Amino acid sequence: MKISFTLNGKQTGVDVSADRKVVEVLREELMLTGTKEGCGAGECGACTILVDGRARLSCLMTAAQIEGRSITTIEGLSQNGGGMHPVQEAFIENGAVQCGFCTPGMVLSAVDLLDKNSDPTREQIREGLSGNLCRCSGYVKIVDAVEAAALQIRREKAR
Amino acid sequence: MREVILPGSLEELWRLLSDRPQARVYAGGTDLLVRMYKGLLDPEALICLDRIEELKGVGEQDGCVRIGSCATYGRLVEEPLVRCLPALRKAIGQIGSPLVRNMGTIGGNICTASPAGDTLPPLYAMEAEVELLSREGSRRAPIREFITGPGATCLKRAEILSAVWVKKPQEYNVHHFEKVGLRNALACSVVTMAALLRLGPGGMVEKAAFAWGSVAPTVFSCPEAQEALSGKPLSAASLSRAADLVRNVVRPISDVRADADYRRAVAGNLLLRLLDVAYERKG
Amino acid sequence: MIKRMIEVGYPAPRFDAKAKVTGEEKFAIDYSREGMLWAGARRAGVAHAIIRKIDISKAAALPGVYAVLTRKDVPGTNRQGIVHKDQPVLAGSRVRHCGDAVALVLAEDRDVLEKALGLIAVELEPLAGVFDPEEAMRSEAPLVHESGNLLHKAVIRVGDARGAFEECDVVVEDSLEVSAQEPAFLETQNGLAWQEPDGRITMIVSTQAPFRDRFEIAHALGLDVEAIRIVSPCLGGGFGGKDGATVQCLLALAALRARGRPVKMRWGREESFTAGYKRHPVRMRYRVGAMRDGTLHAVSCRLIYDTGPYAHLGVEVMALGMEHACGPYRVPNTLVEGWCVYTNNPISGAMRGFGVCQASFGIETMMDQLASKLGLSPLDIRLKNGLRRGDTNGAGVTLVHSTGIVACLEGLGVHRLWKDRAKWKSEAGPQKKRGVGIAAVSNAMGYGRGLPDSAIARVELTKEGKIRIYSGVPDMGQGNSSGFIQIAGQTLGQDDSHLEIIQPDTDLAHPSGSSSAGRTTYTYGNALIPACEDMKEKLLHRASLLLMLDQPCGLVLLPGKVKHLPSGREVPFELLGRMFSQTDRIAVKHFVMPVAQDNPDSAKEFRLGFPHVLFSYAAHLVYVEVDELTGKIDVKDYLALTDGGRVINPACFDQQVHGAVAQGLGYGLMEKVLTERGKILNPNFTNYIIPTSMDVPDITSVCVETVESTGPFGMKGIGEVGTNAPLPAVAAAVEDAIGRRLRRSPLTAASVLGALSGRGAAR
Repeated sequence: MKISFTLNGKQTGVDVSADRKVVEVLREELMLTGTKEGCGAGECGACTILVDGRARLSCLMTAAQIEGRSITTIEGLSQNGGGMHPVQEAFIENGAVQCGFCTPGMVLSAVDLLDKNSDPTREQIREGLSGNLCRCSGYVKIVDAVEAAALQIRREKAR
Repeated sequence: MREVILPGSLEELWRLLSDRPQARVYAGGTDLLVRMYKGLLDPEALICLDRIEELKGVGEQDGCVRIGSCATYGRLVEEPLVRCLPALRKAIGQIGSPLVRNMGTIGGNICTASPAGDTLPPLYAMEAEVELLSREGSRRAPIREFITGPGATCLKRAEILSAVWVKKPQEYNVHHFEKVGLRNALACSVVTMAALLRLGPGGMVEKAAFAWGSVAPTVFSCPEAQEALSGKPLSAASLSRAADLVRNVVRPISDVRADADYRRAVAGNLLLRLLDVAYERKG
Repeated sequence: MIKRMIEVGYPAPRFDAKAKVTGEEKFAIDYSREGMLWAGARRAGVAHAIIRKIDISKAAALPGVYAVLTRKDVPGTNRQGIVHKDQPVLAGSRVRHCGDAVALVLAEDRDVLEKALGLIAVELEPLAGVFDPEEAMRSEAPLVHESGNLLHKAVIRVGDARGAFEECDVVVEDSLEVSAQEPAFLETQNGLAWQEPDGRITMIVSTQAPFRDRFEIAHALGLDVEAIRIVSPCLGGGFGGKDGATVQCLLALAALRARGRPVKMRWGREESFTAGYKRHPVRMRYRVGAMRDGTLHAVSCRLIYDTGPYAHLGVEVMALGMEHACGPYRVPNTLVEGWCVYTNNPISGAMRGFGVCQASFGIETMMDQLASKLGLSPLDIRLKNGLRRGDTNGAGVTLVHSTGIVACLEGLGVHRLWKDRAKWKSEAGPQKKRGVGIAAVSNAMGYGRGLPDSAIARVELTKEGKIRIYSGVPDMGQGNSSGFIQIAGQTLGQDDSHLEIIQPDTDLAHPSGSSSAGRTTYTYGNALIPACEDMKEKLLHRASLLLMLDQPCGLVLLPGKVKHLPSGREVPFELLGRMFSQTDRIAVKHFVMPVAQDNPDSAKEFRLGFPHVLFSYAAHLVYVEVDELTGKIDVKDYLALTDGGRVINPACFDQQVHGAVAQGLGYGLMEKVLTERGKILNPNFTNYIIPTSMDVPDITSVCVETVESTGPFGMKGIGEVGTNAPLPAVAAAVEDAIGRRLRRSPLTAASVLGALSGRGAAR
């Protein structure tokens, strides 16, 4: 099945089985390996992508479902305007990255969260990231990073 | 490879359903696709309801909130009308994770008919009705009749669940939902309880409606406990008696998440929380 | 790009953070090659059986199937294992656990692979299995291996524990049990391999031990070690579960058959559970005696480790557990007995904490019981007995290195969370009980005696004028490679723009052991410093030649250049890079970790891995709230004080502490591998649950800096020590809250509710 959609801002077409997992389409057909697969059952969040700006599990979507949609993967997050997204910057600066396997999904969940709530409490951040498992960090510095990113985004908006 | 079709309208859907009677219908995919990708299901074709806007609306009519079956949990938590249904809203807010809530739908939760479906106890307690639609027309059925067993409903061939109707529970002034899982997010329910109370002067229980999830093949109601509390002031002693009644009649199973004894004990214990919930309400 | 100050002691962002937040970092799972085949193993599915027949004909006939291999296709010994070679690559005659691989399929794509695996007909004659380690030791038990079910028995004896109990004023006794824990790294076991035209095998694999993998593969498949090249990119987590062959031997076997075509093998999550290595379940029986003032006088304990059907590192795990069985305390009389037993359960092996997690629950529980019996505070009894440098530990080793447990405990004692505990507890809401618990733990570093803990560092001045480090030890997420950049930056006076690191490649780096045992940064770092000093001397000397100086004096290294301060003249690295000959641009140095010099007269049963002389220490405190209606435990606050010597990067230090605590909390509260007749009932993240962001509180990490004079810049490894304390600390806090001690991990809501109902409170 031919599927066309917007991928990281660019019109893209692929020819794949309609029922193929989106995470496989991204990783194996489009070679965008930044999106990870950790469980294949919606339980870890490593495969998180943005679909029309909202965080979704790409392991629980069929290829057909992205027809006509706008998909943002971790590779595309930094392309908008060139530099890195404030969430990415904050993850680097706040020590929120360890093995890095959960990181792309975690970053995209954080982007979605901050899009909906630009001034979340730590508890709300924990809640917002609760679908993304991290086995390395204990989440503390990830929450720090999202707090810092929120502040940065509010500052940028205020300018 | 199997087809996946995304009809854009109900008209298109009816045509597809008659052309492909073996196709499986799904909305968010958070349940069906898990099973399909694990190889537990092998449908000939899939029909995804994601693009049918008519199924996503939330509206108000005759004192009822009508929730479109394909409204995602995430959308419903934000929806002002759902604030009139606090127990349901609380249940929805604790389903899975934000990622699951961005995808999963209330109609999916109902049609999956899992004993652990988190929206079901509040919908049962509020005596919700489901709206079932086919090319021939629509019908309504009480949710407790619609769900016939674990994973089983009386949905007919070429029929879909289009909406759920919930009467605004204005007769109650305490709206409670509690979920007991093995962790604080991404948790399958071990026991859930929805409880609605109307408390009169002096803490008198004028009306009560309870429903439990994960303690029976379908959502469990306990009229004995409701009756035991009604007409008496809410107290630790009265709740304790009602809790005993619940423990006596509930017949939960043991599984990898919890054993039956634990579920039975907790199903009763959760009633004991109501005193604090009610007092907190009174400030 | 901003140039970063990366001096030792500065919390510089990890050098790999940028690639990881942008998705550019390539893990083993992200590699693919043109013409790639997929390999997959057919697993036995039953725990104990004789293999009667394996019919591969249907699978082999399926279009798209490249090959189907069974035991008879395996050249070499068909035996893998790190120390004990007891695990078949492909089982041919016997199945010893559900995860045994009985056939290997190579297919053009994954759909065909899955189908073919299902078409293999395996005819098994079931055997009675043994699933309980104590039953396995009985004479009538079914045998997992013909040599018997007792893999190893050992005794550590110091003084005369039996006699010493007579002298004690108080003696406490108890039995405890801990269950298996899944490492649950997010990147499952996987790799990509192919045979080069010259016959060598190249493998890109998610591994903690690239150099050792070559020996395992070579031994199993009858290959020359030199004919195997292992490349190990950053790992998506390891935690011990990727120490030792996972996909390696199967994948090399597949590559041998694939005639040059690349083959990829990726275990799905369920296979990762079924066939992967777990933390050992252990049963413990403890007896601890003390004098009236709280001075420990005798400890005796019996520890039974269930290692599953294969040794993996079972004996070594037990050795380390036994070595730590008396805690970070001075105990003059000890008797520690250990049994490491084969069963038909899933394979137990290395996991962060390596046997110490389990024993820490044992001894710390006993310390609390002793304190309560003597009317002492749990802190005072630990302070009284805490090891100090110069003491002899429970294994009879004299502590001649940095020993910071007392400093950790003192820090805990003055912390607000300790001082405010009574007030916090008194503010519990309705139906809630609050409690506070502490634990003191240690964790040895390195391989211990009998296996030199060595690393060989290699640095190079590239033609482009960069300093390149060839890491010999993988980075599984702990940040050792960032540490190496920082160590090199400090030694050579460079910022991060002039440094680069190559992840381990056995063709480029030198054998440096595994990424494990709290030794990764310590041992490699200690080799890297002299390698960098050697490089520095070269750079200064060669620059002095270019500058026509009579002597290399007045020269300093500055970022990207050598400067002659008296004249102000500079030589950029780019110039030196072009000038250096190929053989000259490299500096290679090695290091071997010191070992204990005492000669304890017991535990001779351990050929290697015992004893140790370098330890990290930690004291933890936890606030918990227990719900009386559901038994649910909520962790509300957490404090971890850690002695890891001097800190190279405070941010990475905290990362390790936070992560260890989270894993320990998972172990203590919710993680349990459920089995029925050896089959895992919850081989997925739906029912094997690990903590989410809602389950871990903010964790305060306090660094208690000692100086470890043998460590690179005074550091010690702290990757493991933090996993050992959460379970005992939480158990103590729960007891403080509800007045009942739970003796079995994980401390589930059901067990709490059971304990509460035993007390006659809420049902």
